Amino acid sequence: MPTFSPGLVHTPVTPFKKDHSIDYDTYAKVLEFHIRNGAEALALPMPEGEDMSLTDPELRSLLKFAMEQVKGRVPVIAHVSDAGTSIAIERALYAQSLGVAAIVSHPPYFWHPKPSMVVEHLVRIGNAVKLPFFIFNPPVESVGTTLSTEIVLELIEKLPNLVGVVDAGLDFVFMEEIMCNGRPLRPDLQLIAGADFMVSAGALGGSGVFSPLSSVAPKLVRELFELCRKGQFVEARSAQENIGALNHAIKAAGASGLRDGLAGLKTVLASMGRDCGVPRPPVRSAGEIERGDLLEAIAAMPFLKDEPRGW
Amino acid sequence: MKNFNLHGVMQAPVTPLKDDFSFDVSGFEKMVDFHVRHGAPAIAWPHHKAESLNLTIAERKLGAEIAVKTVAGRVPVSIFAGTLSEEDSLDIARHAQKIGADMLLTISPYCRRPSQEEIFDSIVRIGTHTDLPVLTYNSPWRNGEGVEFTAELTKRLIDRLPNYIGMKDASFHSEKFLEISRVALKMRPGFSIIQGVEHLLAAYPLGACGSFSSSGAIAPNLCNKFYASLVARDWETARECQFKISRLWRLFKEQYPSSLKGAMIMMGRSVGPTRSPLPTATKERIEFLRKQLEELNILQTEPHGW
Repeated sequence: MPTFSPGLVHTPVTPFKKDHSIDYDTYAKVLEFHIRNGAEALALPMPEGEDMSLTDPELRSLLKFAMEQVKGRVPVIAHVSDAGTSIAIERALYAQSLGVAAIVSHPPYFWHPKPSMVVEHLVRIGNAVKLPFFIFNPPVESVGTTLSTEIVLELIEKLPNLVGVVDAGLDFVFMEEIMCNGRPLRPDLQLIAGADFMVSAGALGGSGVFSPLSSVAPKLVRELFELCRKGQFVEARSAQENIGALNHAIKAAGASGLRDGLAGLKTVLASMGRDCGVPRPPVRSAGEIERGDLLEAIAAMPFLKDEPRGW
Repeated sequence: MKNFNLHGVMQAPVTPLKDDFSFDVSGFEKMVDFHVRHGAPAIAWPHHKAESLNLTIAERKLGAEIAVKTVAGRVPVSIFAGTLSEEDSLDIARHAQKIGADMLLTISPYCRRPSQEEIFDSIVRIGTHTDLPVLTYNSPWRNGEGVEFTAELTKRLIDRLPNYIGMKDASFHSEKFLEISRVALKMRPGFSIIQGVEHLLAAYPLGACGSFSSSGAIAPNLCNKFYASLVARDWETARECQFKISRLWRLFKEQYPSSLKGAMIMMGRSVGPTRSPLPTATKERIEFLRKQLEELNILQTEPHGW
């Protein structure tokens, strides 16, 4: 049975040029930045990498580019999620052929599927590959559906290569339940924080994180990760609150009903000397007033002074 | 404002009923006393576990009086003022102050999908209507119903109400909890964030001071051990307790508190039936619970009888 504990996983953004095409020159810089700034693994393209806005050929070419750029220095986890099961399976097989370390999949986009459809979708993708397989629990506001404890338990029974749940749902009850009911079925089942809220997941026995804020504040993310890895959850509170403030400011910007934070993230990155363009339509970029508010909020965060500027 | 230093797993007694579904006064006295003797750091009544919305306002006042009298100053007593009608909530708030309760837990009236402005106004009306310290009940539901105290609303209420001392938080959500805690605890140090039931481990390191309790009705020892392990930062024991409590919650959350009352009866505390529309636990259900509680080592390690 394959196993893989990815640790501190950075989740890069996808840079775009003015014509909205993928900016590969900048993407190379993005990947180098993450490797230089403490990524133990990369997962891409996660929601903050705007995976839903990329075509199937682009998703493949992005992954291939990343594998060639990273050259095995850190493991790469391929995010393969789609509305269609067969589309996702084909892309997962392609990712496997490129030599990725693991696959992470989200419940199927768009359908508001019943639990049995979610199970069917994820089982077929997981079964198609011979790699460690992670399932991603999206935020409750998100597209498609969130995972339930029952879905996770059924997936554990049906997928020998299911190694963990990457949780961005942030629900205490779900996290507790998959740990206390899932671990008896799969003793090394991993709970991985799917957003930068590591203290709550870590206290409940989680390990590792997929960190959206690693592109902005890799030092702070590393500090919080180390404290949680050592079980110093009370000591981690101040770093977690700083992360919370940064997360809040970024998510408050932009017009997204999902509070996806994409507009805010790219605004902050540009202000820190790492211009990655603006999000692809239909996501709106931050307007002038929002941009002003966000940059003012960021300027008032002294803990960001130590974070890297430029590439 | 008196500082209660609220902490620990605070017990929220069920409401014992007689076989004819009437309020069991002597049963309730025994229930409250049971919790205090088994280490409850505070008593809070009537929460959902006490079938609050299934009690008349007169019964709620009667129960509040019994609770205050039975506790007799041994620990703080919080009275819940949430109702369907704000006039009833104001009435309960006045009564609670008159009978010497220590604090008030409140929420804007149920079943209305109130806006943030409406919640603000409602809490200000209740909070300025009483001299008691006030806690609010944050109860966002997944589908957008429920009553949500966002961090922004909490901030405005702290600014507005000097007697606003804390929150019962049932968001059970890493981001929502952190937003409230990082904002509220800076503005008002000592602001008490109390988890709605014992989903406490994920919130304690971030500043939650304790929780109200579901499982304390059958496992007060487990509750006390859980909190002690948090204070000692013994995360391994804390996880073991949290996971056991989580399994209990899964047993009891459907048609809450029907099954819980059934299990209490099985453990020798005759708390009677559950009022309609909730069903009363059947013999088969109670037998199922008995097996589960034995497997969880609850029957062997927790108090039986009163």
